[in-house]
Amino acid sequence: MNFKEFQNQSRLYVIGALEPEELEEFEKARKKFGKKAEDYIGECYGLHEAFALSLRPAKASTTIKERLMAMVRARKQA
Amino acid sequence: MVPQLQPGAPSDLELMNAIQAEDADALSQLYDRYNGILKALILRVIHNEAEADDLLQEIFMEIWNQAKNFSSQKGKPLGWMVTLARRRAIDGLRKKQAYARAEERLQNETEQQPDAWAHNATEEEIVLSDTRDLIRKVITGLPPAQQQAIDLAFFKGMSQREIAAKTNTPLGTVKTRLELGLKKIYDGLKELRGEL
Repeated sequence: MNFKEFQNQSRLYVIGALEPEELEEFEKARKKFGKKAEDYIGECYGLHEAFALSLRPAKASTTIKERLMAMVRARKQA
Repeated sequence: MVPQLQPGAPSDLELMNAIQAEDADALSQLYDRYNGILKALILRVIHNEAEADDLLQEIFMEIWNQAKNFSSQKGKPLGWMVTLARRRAIDGLRKKQAYARAEERLQNETEQQPDAWAHNATEEEIVLSDTRDLIRKVITGLPPAQQQAIDLAFFKGMSQREIAAKTNTPLGTVKTRLELGLKKIYDGLKELRGEL
């Protein structure tokens, strides 16, 4: 696998769309390309952020934050 | 690519650092900033308002508990939170064995709204930042078949084979659609980063 193919596969990898047989080859290439590979995979995770930002924000129930903060305070006191 | 902040407001990274130091107020601020985005993501996966709220609470609790595992060297706080939320939402979908029911709902919604991303980009929406509009334009600019393949992979956690079976499309075609679509989005994001 050359680096261009690795880049293609990386974008599939970060969204969990590689098939098991592709994943094996991908991991081999990942080791082969080392830091360059890790840096590129890191960049690809920007896709997650983009997909989330592309959605219209949804309103959460007002009680959720109260429950969350109560749990956090209880955890801190424990 | 984060929403615009008020002048003087702490950055996401500053909030994460404070959460790592167990500052509950920082979590409160991070919740106010991102609960809408994460809830939208969860809803897109599980299509159930009450379950999405419960999961949102669990995810922010996990952010609090796992904050020490966050490293800015590996990415930005929002990316980390989205990755965590997506994983939890897809796990939740499978764990509750609600996949079939959600599929049915998704099918109904897809029939009513063939292009889910395009549906989101209506004039009725609240005003979004330029960045978000631009991201949406990149995604909605893809051919519908590529959007659908990416939607099923990212928001439903489907494998290429599952997408092929669901859409009655050859596996090779699904792979090509995903590769082309993701490359266009990735390249579009790189251009956006240059412009912003």
